[in-house]
Amino acid sequence: MARFREFAMKCEEIEGLLPDYLRNKLNSDRAVLVEQHIAECSQCSEEVEIWKKLAQLPVEQPGPSVSTRFQAMLESYQEGRWEKSSLASEHGKFKGLGDLVAWLRTPSLSAAWACVLLVAGFLGGRYIDRGKENDARDKQLAEMQTELHSTKQLVALSLLQQQSASDRLQGVSWTTRMNAPDPQVLDALQHTLRNDSSVDVRLAALDALSRYGSRPDVSRGLVDSLNGEQSPLVQLALIDALVDLHEAKAIEPLKRLQRDTNVDPTVRKHADWGIRKLT
Amino acid sequence: MTSSMSDEELMSQVRNGVGEMLGVLFERYQVPLFNFYLKLTGERSTSEDLVQEVFFRILKYRQSYRQETPFRAWMYQIARNARVDYLRRRKPETSWEPEMSPAVAPVDTAQQSQESALLHRALMQLPVEKREVLVLSRFQDLKYEEIAQLLDCELGTVKTRVHRALQELREIFHELQSGRPWRGSSSKGAGSWPGSGSLQ
Repeated sequence: MARFREFAMKCEEIEGLLPDYLRNKLNSDRAVLVEQHIAECSQCSEEVEIWKKLAQLPVEQPGPSVSTRFQAMLESYQEGRWEKSSLASEHGKFKGLGDLVAWLRTPSLSAAWACVLLVAGFLGGRYIDRGKENDARDKQLAEMQTELHSTKQLVALSLLQQQSASDRLQGVSWTTRMNAPDPQVLDALQHTLRNDSSVDVRLAALDALSRYGSRPDVSRGLVDSLNGEQSPLVQLALIDALVDLHEAKAIEPLKRLQRDTNVDPTVRKHADWGIRKLT
Repeated sequence: MTSSMSDEELMSQVRNGVGEMLGVLFERYQVPLFNFYLKLTGERSTSEDLVQEVFFRILKYRQSYRQETPFRAWMYQIARNARVDYLRRRKPETSWEPEMSPAVAPVDTAQQSQESALLHRALMQLPVEKREVLVLSRFQDLKYEEIAQLLDCELGTVKTRVHRALQELREIFHELQSGRPWRGSSSKGAGSWPGSGSLQ
């Protein structure tokens, strides 16, 4: 019992010292006191061990989309889009990317892009005809096309980040015009589906994403969205999309929806239907 | 050149409109921030979204930054607020419940020792307030003073919380090692001093 009390006192003292000991912030006298206690007290010594072991947990790396999205955001900022859009001068005098975005909104969008490609090809061709080799021409054309493709993506990404819901809606519809959206565009769409404040924009993002539902990352994202979604309209659309995709992983989240008394009754009924379809 | 600049100098430049300096800060902090969120939420995609949100907010609120403020403290304040806002938008039952957490396994489980894997599981079962203080001090390497400022509490409170968090983590870790499911702190009387348990 006496030994118990002795430990107890020391453990109480340790409570004040241990955190600083762990960070090497104690002077040597106090550190020695802590070490003496640790040598005798298995519980406190285990805490020190746990603290040390925590350092062995691996540092995880974020996916490449984090960097891509950051770069797109930074570029849109540097092109001056932020200040201008905040002044609500959407039809004003944009420069650089801003001009391009305004121009892309015209109805003859696809035709315009075709013209750009044609002109680029024509100019590239003429330039190269002056004695450049064929492979150099191919390379240059490929570079131009790559650049145009990245610009398209940047525009879509930039639109998806706008303040106004109608702009974001345009961003979503713009992604559907691409033949093969890159992962970062799909990623931005998934982000929109999960986080956009507008139901219309989320529904549009879901519609756009459903086209690529055969991709595992997309279908996984749709299942994830079911967990966080609160709007009955989007919930219903998500259930339909997941049933269409025969996504069995949706069964668990659907069961949760079905059981949740806070969820809209129509949605719960539809979730029940979805579960039966998927099982 | 930029690599030798302090966070505070870089952020001051961002505030003054030199946006590319944010790129340097992004390179410095995207991984720590991602790991901060990953250890709190256990969800990769959510953590990636939140990292993006933090840098968006840094840029949006750049004018409110003052150079005398340590950048990391300011950034983690933004990071915590972003998380709170995110939580608010989610349904309560899908938030940070421990049972949601084990869905995320370490990337390379095969190479991890079983002990590390267990410790990871134990950490994810720790209540989020306790986990946060451990994550901030152990993984984000914030000083106790910085954490106190961040959590708006006394320095002594932070130290006590670190200690309590380690106590509970040790208990959960033991439970997992012995193969018994962790039944929560209430049944273990967590929060008491270390000697009150089964003293050997």
